Amino acid sequence: MAFNYNEYLRTDKMPTLWCWGCGDGIILKAVIRAIDKLGWNMDDVCVVSGIGCSGRFSSYLNCNTVHTTHGRTVAYATGIKLANPDKHVIVVAGDGDGLAIGGNHTIHGCRRNIDINFILINNFIYGLTNSQVSPTTPKGMWAVTTQYGNIDPTFDACELAKGAGATFIARESVTDPKKLEKMFIKGFEHRGFSFFDVFSNCHVNLGRKNKMGEAIENQEWIDSITLPKAKYDKLPEEEKINYFPTGILHHVEDQMEYCDAYDLVIEAAQNKKKVDVPIQVKPF
Amino acid sequence: MAREVISSGNELAALAAIDAGCRFFGGYPITPSSEVAHEMSVLLPRVGGKFIQMEDEIGGIAVALGASMSGVKSMTNTSGPGMSLKAEQIGLGFMTETPLVITNVMRGGPSTGLPTRVQQGDINQAKSPTHGDYKSITFCPGSLEECYTEVVRAFNVAEELMTIVIVLLDETLGHMHGKAVLPDLEEVQASIVDRAKPDPSIPKEEFKPFDVPDDKPAVIPPMFQGYRFHLTGLHHGPTGFPTEDAEICQRLIERLHRKIDVRRKDLLDSYEEYMLDDAEWLIIAYGSVSRSAREAINRLREQGVKIGMFRPITLWPSPEEKIKEIGERFPAEKILMPELNMGQYIDEVERIMKKRPVALNKANGRPISPTEILDKLKEMGI
Amino acid sequence: MALLKAPENTPVWVEESNCKACDLCVAYCPAGVLAMVPEPKTILGAMVKVVYPEACIGCNDCELECPDFAIMVADRKEYKFAKLTQEAKERAEAIKKNHYMAREEDIKALCA
Repeated sequence: MAFNYNEYLRTDKMPTLWCWGCGDGIILKAVIRAIDKLGWNMDDVCVVSGIGCSGRFSSYLNCNTVHTTHGRTVAYATGIKLANPDKHVIVVAGDGDGLAIGGNHTIHGCRRNIDINFILINNFIYGLTNSQVSPTTPKGMWAVTTQYGNIDPTFDACELAKGAGATFIARESVTDPKKLEKMFIKGFEHRGFSFFDVFSNCHVNLGRKNKMGEAIENQEWIDSITLPKAKYDKLPEEEKINYFPTGILHHVEDQMEYCDAYDLVIEAAQNKKKVDVPIQVKPF
Repeated sequence: MAREVISSGNELAALAAIDAGCRFFGGYPITPSSEVAHEMSVLLPRVGGKFIQMEDEIGGIAVALGASMSGVKSMTNTSGPGMSLKAEQIGLGFMTETPLVITNVMRGGPSTGLPTRVQQGDINQAKSPTHGDYKSITFCPGSLEECYTEVVRAFNVAEELMTIVIVLLDETLGHMHGKAVLPDLEEVQASIVDRAKPDPSIPKEEFKPFDVPDDKPAVIPPMFQGYRFHLTGLHHGPTGFPTEDAEICQRLIERLHRKIDVRRKDLLDSYEEYMLDDAEWLIIAYGSVSRSAREAINRLREQGVKIGMFRPITLWPSPEEKIKEIGERFPAEKILMPELNMGQYIDEVERIMKKRPVALNKANGRPISPTEILDKLKEMGI
Repeated sequence: MALLKAPENTPVWVEESNCKACDLCVAYCPAGVLAMVPEPKTILGAMVKVVYPEACIGCNDCELECPDFAIMVADRKEYKFAKLTQEAKERAEAIKKNHYMAREEDIKALCA
């Protein structure tokens, strides 16, 4: 016996339209394995994707799937989740979809702590539209809109999520799919906004003009800029700028999940009283 | 039993939504529409519905569309600047055939314009709220009662035709406070239309929401019931999955138009003919301007002048045959179209009647008074 | 766990219709079990082959790394996998250095 991915895939859509070696497929597999380990029924799962190569993610999964507009995945997912609080909602967004045009919705999804699983497929470039710079493209690299070299500063997506209030923040990459799967399992189980920063390889767009045109070369580069959190914490300060910490970076269970909090509003409205929420000026 | 209430247009729109079965609202505050949201935030949780104020206008419509995609009747509210922001998502709603009601309480525009003052400047925008080809449905209430009944109708039409319906109030109607006589609640509830359900004899894994005849809307079941369908803004065929096939794409676009065109006469056309039977002069007006027009007509009738009003209630798609018929009864120089804009619906009327009525245009945030209409008619030689 | 009936007595097998010849499985295999061979009928002109199944240690890296569901590994409970040997490690290195392509001796082993 072996793992039967076909139960989770729309098999008539295979093989995927992603490039050979694209990290998207590795993430798709890890998500399927996580869903399987958690015993979720695919009838109870909705996957929302946006625009980009990551946008095609939803069409491969055999569950309720929605392919929305650029950057608005978290907003659509919020509507689906709030209207169906006991179902599982997974959002897949690229670095442009989630951090550029969709930045505002991502920030507020984190702030609300709504129980959505937000997978940021971070391949450091705009892949589908052919190599434009993204908010995570490293300084100095070539992109088709930074052909003299990128001068744009970048986001550390996990720091952004932390500031915005996400209660589960983790980072892994497609080079270690076992860790990726474990991270998804922990994050999917968490009742609150789970933010996954997944480093992926786009060797065809980012890699080709930045000296890593093969899938494995691009993945080796990802390995060279990541370190498990324990090792990262021990680095001298001046070296930290060259690495991203991986692992579960932040996980708290003391914040109320948004749909649960709204149930308090419904109870208050139906009993003609106010919610029993003390005044709290700071988020955490 | 009919209900007598004292309320405002915005509040009645919210009440209508609740009575019509709306159980989700997502939006963003924008004057002069915010009261719709305020009311919904209070009424929805009372009936177990969900309300969320989003971080921006686009989030407001996206969250409402998301909830509707999952099977819950939804609504959002806005005004001019918000409609402009929502354009792309409205397109996704058309393409995925997601029912939604948008109440646009019009204010002075363009841009920031006159946030607290009345205008009817979003008529053309309501016909083409987004890029591409589609048919937009727009209702325009002209009284407090209609702020209620037109929103109920909007929900029913949205569910029946699986599309977005825009209800255009304006700042005058939205904020106007007075007595409204609403239909009986049982009557409203008996008239509620829910989106079509899939044929239960088709196994769930074989059901294709977009595999429908060329003049029908998609049949989209709620999520999480085993149907596992795919919704996308890309062109798609009967399976619902993206395609670029030339024939399939043309069929899709034509179906999105035809599903609305074939129901225009029996479901969408709606207008009022006020004192038109023996009229020799005609006023065409809609929304709050029609109230001033009615008053002007009443005063002129007291003096024995034979004048009447044609008031379109469904603005888009326009009631072509009726407008053409009305146009044949009056010469252009005896038709007055007062609009609180620089002439928007008059272009549609001219296109249909093949002659241009006399325009009375005002776009400075002030209403058109009955006296202004009377003065203009005197100028026209009444 | 969703289960699939595996081919008899096989530690690892390939779904060739899904393979896009990206080289990742060959790159991640620690035991030199896999190598790419020229295959003119495919888009990238190559196809992965299981050259040394007997050396497979069942680490599952190839299955997990494959973005296209093209390579599958049997369940530990049903197949007795090998242990990792120095020879296997060296072979894996050699194949990687050979641009992940099968060397002459690998092609001979495949045809045998």
